[in-house]
Amino acid sequence: MNLDWLDAFLITGLFQVVMVIGLALLLHLQLGLTRIANFGVVGFWGLGMYAFGVLYVKVDWAFGEPWQFLVCAAAATVVAGLAGLLVGWLIADLNTDGVLVGTLGFATAVQILATTQDDLTGGARGMGGLGFPYDIGRVKDNEFLWLVITAAVVVAILMYAWRVHRSPYGRLLIAVGGNEPLARSLGKSTFRAKLWLFAVGSAGMGLLGAMNGVMVHYLDVGNIGVGVTLAAMVGLILGGTARVWGAVVGVILTVGLFDIVIQSYLPLPKEWYTQAIPVLREAAFGLTLMIVLLFRPLGLLGDMRRDKLMGKIHGR
Amino acid sequence: MDLDFITQSLVIGLTENAPLVLAAIGFALLYRLTGLINVAYSETITLGAYFGMWLNTTYGLDFYTILIPTGLLTGLLSVATYLAIFRPAKRRNVGTLEMIIVSFGLSIFLRHGLQFVFGYPVRFYDVPPPDTIMILGVGVTSFRLLAVASVALLSLLLWVFIQRSRYGLQIRALANDEDLAQVSGIRPLAVTTLIWFVAGVAGGLAGAFYGVGSNVSALLGWRQFLLILMVALVGGSWGLGGVILVGVGTSVALAAMALQFDQSLYAQLVLIVAFVVVLKVRGTRLTETAKV
Repeated sequence: MNLDWLDAFLITGLFQVVMVIGLALLLHLQLGLTRIANFGVVGFWGLGMYAFGVLYVKVDWAFGEPWQFLVCAAAATVVAGLAGLLVGWLIADLNTDGVLVGTLGFATAVQILATTQDDLTGGARGMGGLGFPYDIGRVKDNEFLWLVITAAVVVAILMYAWRVHRSPYGRLLIAVGGNEPLARSLGKSTFRAKLWLFAVGSAGMGLLGAMNGVMVHYLDVGNIGVGVTLAAMVGLILGGTARVWGAVVGVILTVGLFDIVIQSYLPLPKEWYTQAIPVLREAAFGLTLMIVLLFRPLGLLGDMRRDKLMGKIHGR
Repeated sequence: MDLDFITQSLVIGLTENAPLVLAAIGFALLYRLTGLINVAYSETITLGAYFGMWLNTTYGLDFYTILIPTGLLTGLLSVATYLAIFRPAKRRNVGTLEMIIVSFGLSIFLRHGLQFVFGYPVRFYDVPPPDTIMILGVGVTSFRLLAVASVALLSLLLWVFIQRSRYGLQIRALANDEDLAQVSGIRPLAVTTLIWFVAGVAGGLAGAFYGVGSNVSALLGWRQFLLILMVALVGGSWGLGGVILVGVGTSVALAAMALQFDQSLYAQLVLIVAFVVVLKVRGTRLTETAKV
């Protein structure tokens, strides 16, 4: 496959966009449908990444690739899912303030463990030794194939979110987000629904973290900061929290703009890329969050289709 | 457990983490009286550290002199964020969850925006080495003692102000029932502005004490935010006294565990778990009561 036309930065930028779309889709199910503000997205993503890294590098597996990758990625997904189950149990009956503490606390705990357990994680020095589960030639070819595989995983998450919207379970989640006591009074187990949602969402975030670990090859504690949660949240809110495609549109307009258009195509002075552009990116994301929630709280795509339909039927 | 360990934990905890209590008082004041979880409060702390450093290094003012202008500047900035962001958001009926995300956005915007103003590198105060005073066999710097005195003084002033003054009565009335308070002739804007100002002053002073004790960076306030939030949420149920009590307990526990584990991050980890469990137990109880 001749990929000479493809810039290496473009592959990295596209990977970032695809991965954040995946996180934003999972956040959409939690925040958009169920109104659980998960401020600890990076915690589950980072846990998956480090669990994968530790298993992949530290364990002497009896089998080679691609089984080593598959087993480690599956284990990382399960670990993140179990963490989601625990955190979900802790926060499921708390109000928004408690959810903020629980999820933010979890993300901080993951960062602390990644820093302090340096025998396992390499601590502040970081951990190398990760690689692609295949070798098809040049680095660029391997990276491009990994981008395609990750995109396929994100498409699967998109399909899942799509199906949830149209399932009884999805309707229950929407009811929980709208009026939880009412849903409970109708005999629905809202606690179990939230718990399952959190566990599945966290497992998905963990899998994406593991896939990110493969792409970057080197795990660094500095990469599991609040910026990951911010990127997913700002994309989702700009696109529209209530719509599945909101996550896709919003992340393309935010992460895509900065990590592809500005990073690869704007003729800016080189020294800007080390500090000014990343700082500007985060400041712009923060500003976007405020502006959207103040002036267009439903985001670019607006309300759910079913709400529009009901509005039309009832003449609203 | 020997007596030395207890003494060291108490002295180090109370003096080293006094800014935590100060910041938690400001945050809890805002939370209890306006109902807002203001994530951007972490940047009020950071800005306090930056303003203090700027006044100190640009105008050559000593640390004690910069405290008043620093508190005033952060108080005014806190009011500005209320008038420019949170008041319009409230008028637009932005929900509780969305309000937290707005404050998260503001926090990120300020945290990164102020790097364009103050520069990217870590900055330091230009102060002579502080005097060290021995308390129960533990050396404590004069800056840290000043932080403890400031916490004590501010707590007392706030308590007197809220419990005994006319404005304090208005603040409590406004927190209980805004509509009724308004009908009774209380001007919500003036009172709310005052709350934001006082909270800003407390956060800014905490930032200056954090900054002079170590260094000043854009992440200074954010690194403390989770602990401040937890102290305010758990202690806030019992009013200002509860915040101070939980804040002091947290400070001492942090110092004791840091001494025990030889690693302050483990102490933070244990406290995060402990606070979340407390919130979980309390949350369940509240739900059960609500059911009855």
